[in-house]
Amino acid sequence: MKTSLFIMIVLVSGAFAGFIHGTVNFAIVEPYLDQAIGIENQNLFASGEEEDTPEFWVEYEGYRVWQKSGQIVSGVILGMSVGSLFGIVFALSKNTLPGNNMIKKAVILSSIMWFTLYIIPFLKYPANPPTVGDGETVVLRAILYLSFIAISGLGATAFYKLSKKFQNKRKFIALISYAVFISVVFFAMPENPDKITAPMNLVHEFRIMSVLGVTSFWISVGLILGFFWNRFESHKETTPHYT
Amino acid sequence: MSELRQINVSKTGVSKLAIVALAIIFAAGLFVVGFDQGHIFSLVYGEQAFADLYIHELTHDMRHAAGFPCH
Ligand SMILES: [Zn+2]
Repeated sequence: MKTSLFIMIVLVSGAFAGFIHGTVNFAIVEPYLDQAIGIENQNLFASGEEEDTPEFWVEYEGYRVWQKSGQIVSGVILGMSVGSLFGIVFALSKNTLPGNNMIKKAVILSSIMWFTLYIIPFLKYPANPPTVGDGETVVLRAILYLSFIAISGLGATAFYKLSKKFQNKRKFIALISYAVFISVVFFAMPENPDKITAPMNLVHEFRIMSVLGVTSFWISVGLILGFFWNRFESHKETTPHYT
Repeated sequence: MSELRQINVSKTGVSKLAIVALAIIFAAGLFVVGFDQGHIFSLVYGEQAFADLYIHELTHDMRHAAGFPCH
């Protein structure tokens, strides 16, 4: 595939899937963010850090509107970013992925990446609504979260490569090895240092909505990139050319 | 004379250049949405940007929703 066409379809499918992610979040995650920030404001008033004045609310509304409108914009940016990673991995692995067409292959890969790069790290370091995180620990938490994602992703890649060396049934061994490896890492990594003071049912419901949003991204990006790939590439690669 | 020839014979069918370009987009986008605390605007506006946190505010809600660490 031509370099420019390849980059184009990867970015467009990432942007589309990110737009869907942002829109889903706007609909189902925002109400929980509003609730959590509401609690945070009450805490600010109670501690005397802020005063419950009309000026406070004018300023608050100003930046909340900016934050909410950013949900979809940053969905597109994040979608193009993660979509680029997905495009790279897909290009490198598509010949060995199971499935008889590009859409099936892409959705299988997006499911694997959803599981290893999102679900497993989420189980260890789940998403939190505002008010839960301590500003002092944000760098530590970012390092922990990113490291765990990287370890899980690189581990999955390594065991996948290993599995290609084995015959049919022994591929299973690679899968089990990954499960053992990631379980060890899971329990070895330090916990999120922050204590949750927000109501637990708010946190739980927020997390469910967050998972639904990210899942909508991974399903979309697989379907859309697979569709584009079929549309622009498949016949060229399989048809011999006579000159 | 006809000759059987397959175009695009490279193993993956995509160029290294494309992979590098996408890897840069991946890293930059992830940083902006997941971790930027005003660094990018500070290149243009100096220290003031760290106080205003424009990008942070714009990407703030997605950061929480996508599971990145925040406040
Ligand atoms: Zn926050």
